[in-house]
Amino acid sequence: MKRYFLRKLLIYLLTFFIAVTIDWMIPRFMPGDPVLNMLAKAGSVHAEAQEVMYGYLTTAFGLDLPIWQQYLNFWNALFHGDLGVSVLQFPRPVVDVIKSAIPFDLLLLIPAIVLSWIAGNKFGAFAARSKRMDNTLLPVGYILTATPYMWLGILLGWVFAIILKIIPISGAFSYALKPALTWTFVLSVLEHWILPFASLFIVMFGGWAIGMRNMIIYELEADYAHYLEALGAPKRLIRRYAYNNALLPQLSGLALKLGVIVAGAMATEIVFSYPGIGYLILMAIQNSDYFLLQGCFLFIIIGVLLANFIIDIVFILIDPRTRLGMQGGAS
Amino acid sequence: MRKIVLALLSVLIVAGFVMSCAPAAAEAPAAEEEVAAEPAAEEAAPVEEAPAVVDYPREETLYTMGKQWGPPTSWNPMQQGSYAMGAIGLCYETLFLYNPLTDEYIPWIAESGAWLDDTTYELKIKEGVTFSDGEALTADDVKFTFEMGKNFKSAFYSELWAWLTSIEKVDDYTLKLTFSSPEYQKWANYLYTVAMLPEHIWSTLTEEQAITGANQPPLGSGPYVYEAADETKVVWERNDSWWGIEEMGLNMAPKFIIDIANISNNAALGMVLQGQVDLDNNYLPGIASVINGGYGITTYYPEAPYMLSGNTAWLVMNLKKAPMDDAAFRRAVAFAIKVEDIVTKDYGNIVLPANPTGLLPVWDKFVDQAVVDELGFSYDPAEAKKILADAGYKDVDGDGFVETPDGSQIALEIGCPNGWSDWMVAIQIISQSLKEVGINVEPVYPDYSALTAGLYGGDFDMVINNDVQISNTVWAYYNFIFYHPIKEQMISGTGNYGRYENQEVFDLVDQLDATPIDDVAGMQAIISEIQRIQLTDLPMIPLWYNGVWSQVSNTYWTNWPSSAEGAPKYLPATWNGYWNMGAVLMLAELQSTAAE
Amino acid sequence: MSEEKKKNELLFFALRNSKLKIGAAIVFLFVLFAIFGPSFAKYPLNEFVAGGPNPPSADYYMGTTAYGQDVFAQFVHGLGSTFIVGLVGGGIATLLGMLVGFFGGYKGGWVDELLNGVTNIILVIPTFALLLIMVAYLKLRGILLESIFIGLTCWPWAARAIRAQTFSLVSREFVDLAKLSGMGTLKIIFREIAPNMMSYLFMTFILQFGGAILNAATLDFVGLGPTQGASLGLMMNWATIGSALLLGYWWWFVPPGLAITAIVGALYIMNVGLDEVFNPKLREM
Repeated sequence: MKRYFLRKLLIYLLTFFIAVTIDWMIPRFMPGDPVLNMLAKAGSVHAEAQEVMYGYLTTAFGLDLPIWQQYLNFWNALFHGDLGVSVLQFPRPVVDVIKSAIPFDLLLLIPAIVLSWIAGNKFGAFAARSKRMDNTLLPVGYILTATPYMWLGILLGWVFAIILKIIPISGAFSYALKPALTWTFVLSVLEHWILPFASLFIVMFGGWAIGMRNMIIYELEADYAHYLEALGAPKRLIRRYAYNNALLPQLSGLALKLGVIVAGAMATEIVFSYPGIGYLILMAIQNSDYFLLQGCFLFIIIGVLLANFIIDIVFILIDPRTRLGMQGGAS
Repeated sequence: MRKIVLALLSVLIVAGFVMSCAPAAAEAPAAEEEVAAEPAAEEAAPVEEAPAVVDYPREETLYTMGKQWGPPTSWNPMQQGSYAMGAIGLCYETLFLYNPLTDEYIPWIAESGAWLDDTTYELKIKEGVTFSDGEALTADDVKFTFEMGKNFKSAFYSELWAWLTSIEKVDDYTLKLTFSSPEYQKWANYLYTVAMLPEHIWSTLTEEQAITGANQPPLGSGPYVYEAADETKVVWERNDSWWGIEEMGLNMAPKFIIDIANISNNAALGMVLQGQVDLDNNYLPGIASVINGGYGITTYYPEAPYMLSGNTAWLVMNLKKAPMDDAAFRRAVAFAIKVEDIVTKDYGNIVLPANPTGLLPVWDKFVDQAVVDELGFSYDPAEAKKILADAGYKDVDGDGFVETPDGSQIALEIGCPNGWSDWMVAIQIISQSLKEVGINVEPVYPDYSALTAGLYGGDFDMVINNDVQISNTVWAYYNFIFYHPIKEQMISGTGNYGRYENQEVFDLVDQLDATPIDDVAGMQAIISEIQRIQLTDLPMIPLWYNGVWSQVSNTYWTNWPSSAEGAPKYLPATWNGYWNMGAVLMLAELQSTAAE
Repeated sequence: MSEEKKKNELLFFALRNSKLKIGAAIVFLFVLFAIFGPSFAKYPLNEFVAGGPNPPSADYYMGTTAYGQDVFAQFVHGLGSTFIVGLVGGGIATLLGMLVGFFGGYKGGWVDELLNGVTNIILVIPTFALLLIMVAYLKLRGILLESIFIGLTCWPWAARAIRAQTFSLVSREFVDLAKLSGMGTLKIIFREIAPNMMSYLFMTFILQFGGAILNAATLDFVGLGPTQGASLGLMMNWATIGSALLLGYWWWFVPPGLAITAIVGALYIMNVGLDEVFNPKLREM
């Protein structure tokens, strides 16, 4: 057991290290000088003052140090929880900027992923029961998963916000409110959350439904299923076993999905002006904001690694084969 | 097993919800702390009761949008481009306001200002001006504010001290400024752009704090005070003990002004259509068709061009690179571009084509029509081809594009920032126009920082640029076109990115700056000569006037500025620098549609 | 079963499978449209031929954009680039996935650990964000470049799936036989294993094809698509910028998304059909 955990941990740490290094490298080699850009955004400041500002800001961001020193400083600052200062939202520290975006991302992503997974699996299993249901329900699943997130999002927004006028079209909560734990605020958050959530949910739902349906079919054709049938076990029992076994690959699929959902979330956030990390990344790129970019990536990397780790543990708990495998047998 | 999975998953969901609500709620105490910390000796009780306010009543609130791209991060009036909406104008104030629509300097904090002689300026401050904490604003604060430019070299007006010798306090409300070589045009500009700071707070700050600090919450003398702010908005609350109520008889109508941060122009249109925004300053494509759609939305002009003109879009060419170093080539380009297509197809008629001098309509009196008639240009592809042919540009290799007189290929790029959709379409139109007369130019869309890096460093072919805005002085335009001295990096705030060199015109521009602002005849004489040189050499080509994008909703507030008889004549914009160009006066004219 | 008989049997079932037929028909229709459409386009691509937005009419088959460009021309050219991205992007992703999946699955041991590790790293890094950066780097971007980038970032999915299948095949007798007879690794992979996975590979390719199209659409929509030419995602991007739906120009916004949904959906349905054809156990379902 220990060996298994140690190996896994080692792999995670290695992945983390490499991912973070890549994370640090890539933004550095982007074209554009962030300080010049920031000064440009400051408007028609008189030229003489600009030169002083330029020197000051370059030092403040540490951009005049040699590359290797910047790299070491980065790791050092990382362990102190200091991700630098954002260029885009100068003088706000990056941690602050990300902190304010994280809640909305979590609020959007976790329910969407988890609920669509649960609902999609149920739906897929249901569809696998009979050929007729399969043929009618399944195409629905395929069409849903083929829909581009943002297209669906915009259509939903148009129908519900502009035509029916029952849901607001942008933001995370009403602009007339201050964040507070009151019913008005919570309702407002939910009101603004429902459309972005719906667009992510609907598309992902289709994907899980299809996956589950395929898995169930394979399971139902496995030897143990035939054996049980021969023994005269009720269909429900067989289906239940098949379902549990089919959940396993779906679970690993869930882990994988987490890394990919950033893309869908980004498009959705843009459509609904939902203040999440995905949108921050786009802004950071457009403004050569190295520090903010790194911070966002870091958050996503850590998030995905953490989620993968949790799912690994869940696997150990529920899959006896993995437990056996941990005890030294080759898989 | 299944139960474990389900249990874990439900824990995850609940955790998700809790995690997201908790930090958001944690922001509330922070915001309230800010408000309570304000050293406020307020007569207006509502501010003291702020922690209890969760809702801002709709009929007392003015919602604005369009200035703030991204969360507000600074309320520092020294950060000219990036201070939050209204920091100067609603919170901090300037000595004068300048209204370009009426060409008036309106004394604001100042009582009056006059040149006693060529080099001495006397400034009288109104008595009774106070900061929102109750302290009086006197000549000491004004003197302190200007002298900060001398002590802090990174202040945006520090260069003032190259030609200002000293400021002398005559009495509590009078100052005498002595200049060595007065630049009258620039000085008049500072009169309405430098915000007066409270000495009792700013005198203890270091240069770093003063110039780069966020200054939150801000404390000024203006009609509104800081109420709250978060990632998506800034909230200003009316200061009911503002000095202007008594001294100028001005009563600002909205109790709260909430500025919402932009995310995209498309989202802005959605919100405007939903009635969530009263004054919107985004560029909204298709707004012309919305105006007649029954949403109660109006613009300054009821028909084309709908918007006031606020700046000129120039085609900047790199004069250090062939063939753009050839004045004949540039002239051909000017004749080849079909600006009309940009105006109608790209903008749907909410902009105006520029006249050949590029001067905004408010400066019509400075356009020397005789010079324009003689040396001007218009859309004429036949003429463009003729100019090219006469100058020796021929299509030698038969690919449909001309080569330079010495036979080398022409393959140029015209750029604009990626994502600036109206400009992206404009450069496509320009590229197609130029190709029609045989000039091979392709549109490119580098992202903003890459583009400006190239522009400042002199590494570009053609770029659209509109850095210089409407202001009190047409000198600012010529300073932009003919900025000198030319350096390696022509950074933001300068101009002449094409690096045009002509000492004669440089001297004329300096001469213009040194001409008193009321000497219109003198200015016109100099400007005529400048325009003659400008139109002969065409270092930049003016294309169209960008509008002061402004669409207002009449659902909750009416009596907006417009061209109609009797309507207020102010710039309806919340952009930085516009409140102190008279926009703040619009607030006193607004009428709520709710029953009084 | 002999090769000949097997092929005939597959064909027999293929022609009877309705999912495969419908899916393939839809895709084929769009391909035809993409190939022959441009010759029916009245107006050149992206030229400003009208004074502004127009609804579909006899003159403008699919209306015009807010700037006066012909939507039909953009649509048919966009279909073409969509298929190219799917082909090239999906193809590269499948090839790379095959390489990594086969080697890892067959060799096992530390080779597998290494390749699996690399796969996991790429999966963990938000590759879409990486794509954004790489693409923002370049001033002029073309469809081909975009396809290559997508291929380079999507292969881990294929690799994982192929690796898993390879594992199950590796333990079969014919592979042991081949090893005993002294065949080289590469030969074993391409002569023994791959042919037995042909169906699976083909289906993986179809999934990658569809995925590449969706990825490209998202990239284009965010504004990082090709700088010249047209693509369906780019049309949606401009339509959103021009507030098409809000202003009522539905003909500009709805068709591109509908087309992508239809094509990718048809591909997935084709996939299910193929699954049934190749896998006898499913046919009886």
